[in-house]
Amino acid sequence: MIKIKKTDLHNFIEFLIKDYNVYAPADVGKKIAFKKINSAFEIRHDITNTHLSPKNVFFPQSEVMFQYSDDGLKIPERNEKPIAVWGMRNCDTSSLIMLNKVFGDAHQMPDKNMYKDPYWKMKYDNCLIFGQACNEPLSTCFCNWFDGNPFAKKGADVFVVDTCDHFIFEGVSEKGKAFLLKYKFAEEATKTDLDKIAELKKTAESYLPEKLDVKPLYNKMSQIWDEPIWDEISAKCINCGACTFVCPTCHCFDVSDEGKGKKGKRIRLWDSCMFQIFTREASGHNPRELSTQRVRQRLMHKYNYFMDNYEQYLCTGCGRCVQVCPVNLDIREVIKQILDYKISRNEDN
Amino acid sequence: MCNFDNTYIPIQMKVKKILIENPDRSLRTYDLSFVNEDDKKRFNYLPGQFCEFSILGKGESPFGIASSPTEEEILKFTVSRTGSVTNEIHYLEEGDIVGIRGPMGNWYPIEKLKGQDVVIIGGGFAFTTLRSLIIYLLENRDDYGKITVIYGARNPDLFIYKDELKIWDKRDDLILHLTVDKHVKGWDKLCGFVPAITKDVKPDPTSWCIVCGPPVMIKFTLPVLLEMGFAHDKIYTSLERRMKCGIGKCGRCGIGSKYVCIDGPVFSYEELKNIPDAF
Repeated sequence: MIKIKKTDLHNFIEFLIKDYNVYAPADVGKKIAFKKINSAFEIRHDITNTHLSPKNVFFPQSEVMFQYSDDGLKIPERNEKPIAVWGMRNCDTSSLIMLNKVFGDAHQMPDKNMYKDPYWKMKYDNCLIFGQACNEPLSTCFCNWFDGNPFAKKGADVFVVDTCDHFIFEGVSEKGKAFLLKYKFAEEATKTDLDKIAELKKTAESYLPEKLDVKPLYNKMSQIWDEPIWDEISAKCINCGACTFVCPTCHCFDVSDEGKGKKGKRIRLWDSCMFQIFTREASGHNPRELSTQRVRQRLMHKYNYFMDNYEQYLCTGCGRCVQVCPVNLDIREVIKQILDYKISRNEDN
Repeated sequence: MCNFDNTYIPIQMKVKKILIENPDRSLRTYDLSFVNEDDKKRFNYLPGQFCEFSILGKGESPFGIASSPTEEEILKFTVSRTGSVTNEIHYLEEGDIVGIRGPMGNWYPIEKLKGQDVVIIGGGFAFTTLRSLIIYLLENRDDYGKITVIYGARNPDLFIYKDELKIWDKRDDLILHLTVDKHVKGWDKLCGFVPAITKDVKPDPTSWCIVCGPPVMIKFTLPVLLEMGFAHDKIYTSLERRMKCGIGKCGRCGIGSKYVCIDGPVFSYEELKNIPDAF
């Protein structure tokens, strides 16, 4: 492990910017989100977590898939430097692993090559992820329910701890270790630093809610499809879709053309299963016409279907959906409500 | 596949022939030919698969492939004029260039059907992939047993592939039952909804059955087949959803943990019976 004085961080970031397009928590309007930075001074260190998830770095809200004109189709190529992301908490580094299963590995698919997403891969492959210890989890956080921890390193290439006056760096992946070796201006971390990290970890963990065993959630959800609980859960949802946009794991998208005459582009845009039009067919038939059906789809996808396909839940407990919901529909309460739910159907017959 | 490096990029195809299927001109069949020889070689498909039909500037919509792989050189699609993409497709003229992504999804169980009697039940303009299947079975006629087709439409005008239906009707190796919802003057075939006609036709319940039609037809036909004693794993249907990406990512065609675009569109009743709200 190495350490860098906080006041010297800009040197490290300059070094990083030489080889990478660097994304980090920074001001975006009135909110803080991951954006491409040109200098270390743009990074917001004084935050608990970003308002928006980092999924936009690899899966932008809108992305050109190709341009068309009389000359044919032009597919955007990425000739830029690879991407490095600074300052991702464990809830966000874990989300990338989940998204990569969908877009990158496509491992449950019959012919893998056909199902890999080239737009994701050209950004995600070769990226360098700086995970950052989450010193101060929020009241909305519940990463500990989903195998997360404020100091967990899963999904990070380099793990960084902010110890007030220093940043302590630990190479996690081979790629991360190799990068740190290249940076010559750091000091070795000491026993005192390790003690400080242990102390910070303990403090951070004390902010988290009581751990909830969510293993039974999968089975429970398999049994309640027809139960009235969905009407209760969805009663106050206004289907605004805010939860799906801030979620680091939600990845539904739309494909849409923009252009006039023979010139234009095909783009993909984030979409949301909360919207009625998401599934409405041209004939008017809509398999998820009702709000209840859509709320059920979102929760079933997260805590049941994704497990069937990828052997894990599609949630990292980042709590962003809890923060933004305009009607205070708290997913933690929903999870508890489902776990506590007594099935009304008579299972004996 | 359309493009080995990037599945989202359509291949170019030329509109070779357009056939207006009905007097109100709402249903048209397009024969498309490959522009590039390489694409033709790579495009291997089987009856039941679908494509994303692309009109640049308007978007893409999924359509079942109506041609059979035995009809080389062309891909056939029948399109009902319903939304903005299909509207634009209806404005196409012979010689125009369009985009196609595919073939996508799985196919009817043509291997399992070998040596078996097959009942094919269709409704309306969802008959497209069933045409593909029937042409395929007839092309390999000796491999399959008795073939019974039950096809219903709201009125006689709304049948598609009318010329081929006439030819099939004359064949002695295929039994064709055509039905319309209500009797109209000059119609000399059956009258009544598909589920009721299926009951009257009494197909042999040891056969395999392929059902494709509007959701409401599937919903009411499956119970009839089950009641007759068709085995759950011998009934197949093809589902329709608003599929965008076609490769299991965009999220809209999910039924349970399956995606219609990659796990389907063809499913056996055995698979579907445990997935709520699938049809």
